[in-house]
Amino acid sequence: MKNRLRVLRAEREWSQADLAARLEVSRQSVNAIETGKYDPSLPLAFKLARLFDTTIEGIFSDES
Amino acid sequence: MNCTTNNPAARRYMRRFAVTMLLYVLFLVLAVWVFVHRHPTGVLAYALAVLPALPAIGLLAVFGLYLAEEKDDFQRFIGVQAMLWGIGGTLAVTTIWGFLENFVHIRHLDLILVFPIFWAFFGISLPILLARYK
Repeated sequence: MKNRLRVLRAEREWSQADLAARLEVSRQSVNAIETGKYDPSLPLAFKLARLFDTTIEGIFSDES
Repeated sequence: MNCTTNNPAARRYMRRFAVTMLLYVLFLVLAVWVFVHRHPTGVLAYALAVLPALPAIGLLAVFGLYLAEEKDDFQRFIGVQAMLWGIGGTLAVTTIWGFLENFVHIRHLDLILVFPIFWAFFGISLPILLARYK
């Protein structure tokens, strides 16, 4: 699934490890989601949306 | 499954794994010693023979607990995939071996090796799966 995580992270100057610590997940998890190799669960998607003060649709897009 | 982080579920898993493995070694040594020196019979012999299998089976429960407690769903996904590789690999090897035993009469595969085969496939698949997401 396409997403804007890298952009949102860059805007806040967070590394993948910084974001992982805020989400309480591993850095590998952030990388897998960011590169579109793994789709997060709904609770994690909501957590991401809250963290970036946006909606799930504001981060993820189901366009191929 | 990332056991190198400060992940509490992974730390608990490692602790439980170490305790269960220690029990396995203790029970195995005890069973071997009793069979060699005391030659048990009847119910005691059966109970002692099964004793080392209990912590070995317990390792599956320990991993099940890890999956239930792990909050990082990506790590759970990796753990479940590694389990599937373990199960699939074991079924593949034992099925092929079974046909080879029946048709070309190769050496019989001792059933005690099924569990190590499972953990070997599990252990090999884990770093490969994680490497895909580095």
